Parts: sequence; structure tokens; C-alpha cells
Amino acid sequence: MDHRPQNWGRPRDDIYGGYDVSYMAPNAEPNTHTQSPVVTGTSVVALKYKDGVIMAADNLASYGSLARFPSVQRLMPFADTSVLGFSGDVSDMQYISRHLTSLSIDEAYGVQDPLNAANLHRYLSKLLYSRRSKFDPLWNNILIAGFDSDDKPFLASADLLGTTYSSPSLASGYGSMLAQPIMRKYASTEEDAAKLTKEQAIKIVKECMKVLFYRDARSLDKYSLAVVTRKSGEEGGGGVQITQEKLEGMSWKFADRIKGYGTQTV
Amino acid sequence: MFMARSEYDRGINTFSPEGRLFQVEYSLEAIKLGSTAIGVATSSGVILGVEKRVTSTLIETSSVEKIVEIDRHIGCAMSGLQADARSMVEHARVECQSHAFNFNEKLRVESCTQAICDLALRFGESADGEERIMSRPFGVALLIAGVDEDGPQLYHAEPSGTFYRYDAKAIGSGSEGAQAELQNEYHKSLTIEDAETLVLKTLKQVMEEKLDSKNVQLASVTKERGFRIYTDEEMAEVVARLPAN
Amino acid sequence: MSALFSQNPLMNGPNYSFSDTPVSHPNEAHGELREHRFNPYTDNGGSTLAIAGADFAIVAGDTRLTSGYSIHTRYSPKVFKIGGTTADQKDATIVLSVVGFAADGTALRERLDAACKMYRYRHGKPMSVNAAAKRLSTMLYQKRFFPYYVYAILAGLDEEGKGAVYSYDPVGSYEREMCRAGGAAASLIMPFLDNQVNFKNQHIPGSGEGHAIQEREKKPLLREQVEILVKDAFDGAVERHIEVGDGLQMMVITSQGVEEHYLPLKKD
Repeated sequence: MDHRPQNWGRPRDDIYGGYDVSYMAPNAEPNTHTQSPVVTGTSVVALKYKDGVIMAADNLASYGSLARFPSVQRLMPFADTSVLGFSGDVSDMQYISRHLTSLSIDEAYGVQDPLNAANLHRYLSKLLYSRRSKFDPLWNNILIAGFDSDDKPFLASADLLGTTYSSPSLASGYGSMLAQPIMRKYASTEEDAAKLTKEQAIKIVKECMKVLFYRDARSLDKYSLAVVTRKSGEEGGGGVQITQEKLEGMSWKFADRIKGYGTQTV
Repeated sequence: MFMARSEYDRGINTFSPEGRLFQVEYSLEAIKLGSTAIGVATSSGVILGVEKRVTSTLIETSSVEKIVEIDRHIGCAMSGLQADARSMVEHARVECQSHAFNFNEKLRVESCTQAICDLALRFGESADGEERIMSRPFGVALLIAGVDEDGPQLYHAEPSGTFYRYDAKAIGSGSEGAQAELQNEYHKSLTIEDAETLVLKTLKQVMEEKLDSKNVQLASVTKERGFRIYTDEEMAEVVARLPAN
Repeated sequence: MSALFSQNPLMNGPNYSFSDTPVSHPNEAHGELREHRFNPYTDNGGSTLAIAGADFAIVAGDTRLTSGYSIHTRYSPKVFKIGGTTADQKDATIVLSVVGFAADGTALRERLDAACKMYRYRHGKPMSVNAAAKRLSTMLYQKRFFPYYVYAILAGLDEEGKGAVYSYDPVGSYEREMCRAGGAAASLIMPFLDNQVNFKNQHIPGSGEGHAIQEREKKPLLREQVEILVKDAFDGAVERHIEVGDGLQMMVITSQGVEEHYLPLKKD
């Protein structure tokens, strides 16, 4: 018999092997929270029009200055009623996306109408605010497009701090500096936006994507464009349609005349 | 009849087939063993009165505390197990202070009564979030008197958690006789002095001992002076006013 | 952190809610590591003001929401009705304005509104402005060590029907006043209000020299006068502060209820 009392009453080492103490060891390191984003997506732009909302974001996920993943969709449809556009941390985007997918499946079992964009925006802003209040933020700025409970076009933003706002046009990241002035030129008020046709709105958003690709070093010429319309509003269903676009007809001739930046010496 | 109850009067959370909670009903019986307490509400204030039941000449009568202050504008009289009343009064006091702290105003008398009754069903297994605080229902009833923006009010709170507002109410061993007396004598235009004598007169009728200024206690709640227990001199003065029989 | 709550221009650059001047970090100079931490706050700019009258109170705020040099939106209200029984707050009698960090402002507004609802259920009466004022103070102080970064102003009519304005700091210190300006342009608007509402530095002409000078008699202003003061205060703030502009939202509380007005401001 083993004469050491601490070994009594447990499986015998000679048969079962010694106890692997690593199972009992507390975490070697404390829990860590996201303190800065790692793989990131750049701007999202969105514009309201007469019968809905247009949104666009390029397909790039950058790792710092490295164009790491060149075909990542940053627009996510929700319940075929709304579209979300993510900028910021891509892993947090994927976490939220997974979460919302399971939420929409759970909701689909219910008898209520599917969650609209206004519901979704409220939900996400509470999620983001509660995470920032735990000092464990989801490092994203999210644009939410769709319709509100009065069936009017809806566009709003929620960021990593839980700040929320709504406007006829919205853009995150560099888009807020480069694309927002362009969109505001065409739709500075809700009334102006309500006069835009789908074609006009798409043209404006495409223009914005072009400007962003010219000027934003962390952007890509391949992007996703989402059109959200009322489900009943249009022939052939409406809802959310996301298409893949490529920027064409650009001229970079001006580039070799730019002097005085980077490693150039002449 | 006793047989019918035998299986259902132990479990605190179990209804009998007739839909009764026997333990709660028994707790109402405990009050009928308690000393008589009376409250009378008038338009200018509420009077509370209790008999002290001095069972021995060696008892220091001032140590029998059956009327207590809850806040400056609310007081209560009790009948039944006094130890149970302590925790209810403590809860009510905290509730009053918390309200004053959070809202910079006095807690209403009805809200205070509600807060006390919220405790009444905190026995047995707890609902989620609420701690189980007792193993059995309270064995005490309270007369809660107070003055707020709606004027003077009197409430009666029972161990079952129900409460009602009264113009005049008697609880405890002498309550049946006393309530009948109050029913006959109460009218809306009573003054505070009338209420003092009504309370003592009624107590005198139902008490086993002979009423004197030592074995009864009075308290008043008025808009002007708030809650106040009568001093020995004031007690002697009111007792002297009683008609001799 | 202290600079964050400071209204002192010396501590926070040119009194914007952000600093764009490069700063040298004392820690780095000594070869120590600089800790990079998530900052849970931002300042969304904007300004608010409230004035109490004899039988009314007015609360106003601009509708611009900024972050740094960006205007996020031109219409994001900072003035809210509180404590009504319906979703549209049409029977509300208390008005709250919040300026500072917008997300905290929203959270605080929703909490106070919920507290008003619970109060009505529990006590069977609407909350008085005095009670709501104290509740808001305790609510702010409960987060003393992770504050709501907001300058709140609460207004309504007191038990006597007089206009009441309560102003707060982010951790819940509060006092009742005749008028108060909050937010980015508080330092521009408040001196104007001191002079025009409380008649500070106004004297009776020819009343004497030195200690003999008599102050102008104080009396509460009329509603029409106050509305003009509010518009002038904001026109001035818009002119001189980049974070203020776009729209002016004004709530007028009288015994008849709360009237809401919207006026455009310069969008530059």
C-alpha cells in the first residue's frame, strides 16, 4: 500500500499513469481583450434613395499595410431584409456575422415579422456598447441598411464605442472624409435623398468607390455592391441583392508625375 | 376537518386541493393571540394605540415596544410575533431611506406598505433573483400609519401579503370586539383628541387588565409633527380624559 | 483623464473636444514603455443650454454629431422628453439634455426614462422634476469610477409651477440654477447667459461710483425674450465653434406640456 496519504483514493499511477496536473493549472496568462484591430477592412459607403438603400465595400482584408485577403465579403445580408457593412477588425466581423446568423435562424422560428434594419441596428448598438463597457470592444464600425417599422428606407451606423447615428448618406473610415462630401453633394437632406432614383444612387456610390480606390492605400478595385429594396416593392421580389463589381476606366497616368513622396529622390 | 388538512399544512408552498395555503392561514391565527392594537385615521392625523400586556409587576414597562417609527412621517403598531416585525420594520426603514436618497422626497405611505408586503411571501423556495429570507410566513400583522401628499392614511398589512387602507382598524386578540366598537363610533369629522379617546376607550373595553397610563401606549402621525410616541405625561393626560365607568 | 473632463483650454488644446497637436510623451523620453489602451470614450461635440422662467423652462441643443473634424450626422437630437406614458412621450413633463459622449448620453437617457416608468408603476404618480433630478444624480454617481462622460441638464416645472433647471457634472454633482450652458461651446455661451439672464455686470446708469454702483434689478425673463436669447446664443456659438451647428432643437416646457421646435443653423 502506498504510504503517502495524498495518493490515497485516486486511480493507481502504475495502472492509469500519473495525474496530468496541466488540467488543473490555471490559465498561464490572464484573459486578454482586443486592444487594437489586426486584420482590417477599410471604408464602407452607403446612400439612401427613393425606394431603398445602396451600400458598397471593397473585398480586401488588410494585415497592416499588407493586402492579405483579397476576396473577403464585408457586406452581409440579414434575413433578406437588411444589409450590414463592416469596417474594422475582420475577426470581430466574423464573430458578429456568426452571431447574427444564429439569431436570424432563431427568429425565423417565431411568428413575428423578421427583424427589420431598425431592430437590427438597435440590437447591434447595444451589443457594441455593452462590450465597450466591459473594456472588451468589438472593433468595428457597422453600417446597417434596410427599412424601419414604418417601411421607410433606413440607414444608420453603430461603432465600437456604441455611438449611433443616422443620415441620408453614411461612410466609415476614409469614406467619411472622401466619400461623404460627394454623397452629401447629391443628397444633403432626407428630402433630397428621397428624390434619387436607384440608378442615380448606384452611380454616386460607384463614383465614391472610385475616389476611395484612388486615394485609400488600403483599398481594392474589387468590391461588393448591395441594393436593398422593399420585398413587395419591385418586380421579381426585391429584398437584398449583392453584386460583385470591378472598377474600370481608371487612369493612373498622373501617378508618375507625383514627386516628393516615399523613396523617390528626383 | 382535521384529517382533511393533515397532508397539506406542512409544505409551505403547497396548495390544498381546496386551494388554500394552510401555513399562511395559521399565521393569521398567530395574530389573534397577539395583544390588541388599534389605529384611527382622522383628517388631521392618525392615532395608533396598543395594549402592553404587562404580565409581571417586575417588567419595566418602557421596554415593551409595540409602536415604532419607520420614518419621520410613518410609524407602525404591531400585533403577533414581535421578532418578525423587527425584520419587516427594518426593511421598511431601509426602503424609506433609499427612496429619500434616490428621489429627495418622502416615500408614500402606500408604497411603504407595499414594500413591507413584498417581504411577506419571501418564504419557501425563492423566485429567481430573490433570496429566500424566511422558513415560514410572518406571524405578525402591522398597522401602518403615515402622512404624505395625500394626507393622513392608515394601512393594515397581513402575513398573506395583502393590505387594505382603513379609516379605523383593530388587530390582535381583542380585534373582533374592538372593530365592532370602532364601526359604531367612527365618523369622518373626528378630531385628533377624539381619536385618542376613541382608541383608549376601545382598548379599555377589550383589555383583560385594567387600563392605566402604563399598560397602554399611544402614538400619532400628523402633518405638522410627523410620527411621535406619547410621553408619560401626555399618556396620563389622555387617560385622565377617559370617562370613568 | 482629468483633461478629458476639463473645460480649461490650457489642458485640452484649443478647446476642441480632441487634440490634433503633436505631444511629446514624458514616459517615452525616459525610455519607458508607453501603454496603449483602448479608450472607451470619445467626445461627440455639440452644445446645450437651458433657461428657467417664472412659469416655463426652455432647453435647447444643436443637432450636429461630430468626432474629430468629421461631422457624422447633421441631425442627432441631444434634447429628450422623459417620463411620458407613451412611446412618443407626448405627455412628458420633464426634459433632459445630454452632451459629451453620445453613446453614454443615450444610455443615461434610457436609464432615467426607465426609472421614471418604474416610479410611476410603484408609486402611482408621475415623478416630480425634483425627484428626477436627485435620481439622475445618484445614477451618475453610481458610475463614479467609470463615469458617463456627459454634461446633463434636466428641466421642468417644480411643485409650485415655476421653471426649474438642474445642471450636472459627469459624476453627479448637481444644482438648481436659472440657466446653464453645457458642452463644447459652454465656455462661449455661459458668460453671455450670465450677463443676459442673471444681469451680471449690469448696473443702473448714473447710480454712483465704486461701492455706490447699484446692480440692475433681477427679474425672470418672458418667454419671447428667452427664445430670442437662445437663438442668439446658438448663432454666436455656431460662428465661433466648429463642433456646433446644423440645427437647433428647442423644447419649451409650460403647464400645457412640452412644445418642440426645430430651426436650421449654419451647416459650415
